[in-house]
Amino acid sequence: MKEEADFMDCVEFKEIYHDLDRPGTEAFRFRERALAHAESCACCGSLLTDGEALDFALGNLSQHNAGREAPPRVEAALLREFQALKAARSRRRVREQIASLGVAAAILLAIGLGVQHRITSRASVGVESAKLMPDSSAVPAENGAATSQQDEDEYAAEFVPVPYADDPAALEGGAIVRVTLPRSALPSFGLPITESDGSDSVFADLVVSEDGTPQAIRLVSDADPNLNF
Amino acid sequence: MKGEAELIGDSLLLRRMIAGDEEAFTVLYRRRHPSIYRFALHMSGNVAVAEDVTQEVFMTLIRDAKRFDPERGTLGGFLFGIARNHLRRRWEQERHSLPLPADADELDSLLSASAGPGKNGLSNGNGNGRGPFLLSRDEYTSLETVGRVRHAVATLPANYREVVILCELEEMSYEDAASALDCPVGTVRSRLHRARALLVEKLHDSQPVRRASAVGE
Repeated sequence: MKEEADFMDCVEFKEIYHDLDRPGTEAFRFRERALAHAESCACCGSLLTDGEALDFALGNLSQHNAGREAPPRVEAALLREFQALKAARSRRRVREQIASLGVAAAILLAIGLGVQHRITSRASVGVESAKLMPDSSAVPAENGAATSQQDEDEYAAEFVPVPYADDPAALEGGAIVRVTLPRSALPSFGLPITESDGSDSVFADLVVSEDGTPQAIRLVSDADPNLNF
Repeated sequence: MKGEAELIGDSLLLRRMIAGDEEAFTVLYRRRHPSIYRFALHMSGNVAVAEDVTQEVFMTLIRDAKRFDPERGTLGGFLFGIARNHLRRRWEQERHSLPLPADADELDSLLSASAGPGKNGLSNGNGNGRGPFLLSRDEYTSLETVGRVRHAVATLPANYREVVILCELEEMSYEDAASALDCPVGTVRSRLHRARALLVEKLHDSQPVRRASAVGE
């Protein structure tokens, strides 16, 4: 039985004889049985001899070429490429960092300007309110004039002196009164009549002197930041 | 005395190289380029092509090292794969159906020298039988034999040639060769067996000239 188990035929031999000297392969495990078969079979013995001769010949070729390698100029060219690429990557990284800093600076600037704008507009409202509040003598205009604090959504133009202003000091310390005016009354304050948005009246702030005479006017809108009254 | 970089593995060297370490690249190149160069030389049979391919392989590594995935194989296999693709692209461009044997001048001079009467003309002794194609240890190691074997390898079909170069000349395992060639291990094994059988045929076929000259002596 053992002899039968150890027996290898020519077909099996031909399948594995190329790998007999290759450790780690299945053929390598059956090496002894294959060699035993080759001893008893002239044909397979001849194949084995050829295979060994080929191994030796290829081994010699491999040895003959062992020292062959690319000339130094290839390494030099590659090193130049490596350095150039490294420099380019470094430049790109610096550019990216500068761009990132630029974007960050722009965002910070925008935020700063926004905050400053808010603070400024609140401060001016505060000053105007402060000017308005102690002046209880300020008389509201007839047709429903009302004093009010500017709310955050309100837009106002610069004060323009009215044509008959006679008290420049009032521009500095006069009271401000919110009034509603008919649009047709604007020329009397030295302002042109602009296109109507459907309403015949406009809101305006008046700076009045101590005797109640309007000294300056500004138009107020709660909708259009461009002040197209 | 060896530098620290020469003692560390390919993966670490590659990571250092990607981070811009020039020494790591130099060590990696010096470690890996000879086998790539020889592979290209055997595959193309042309020294200039072998140089170009070697340079292109490492240029690719410099520019696109992150393509290497250690889970898919070794760095050596990855580099052989790039070399193989460069060679194939080159052949497609140049329509090289049959490459010249390596060092054609050297090989031609060896073959012509061996063809002359009385010049190393060995017989296998049986005249008409097909004995071993190499007879003596001297013949195994002779330059002529090296030239014959190189020629035989160079004239194999490309898919057989590459497995012979990788598995026999570069002593790569079937697994690594399969990774480099992007094919199953079984395919590598079967191609190698077929290639070896073809080589034996070719080496036998290259004998009659010498036998004839020996007979004519």
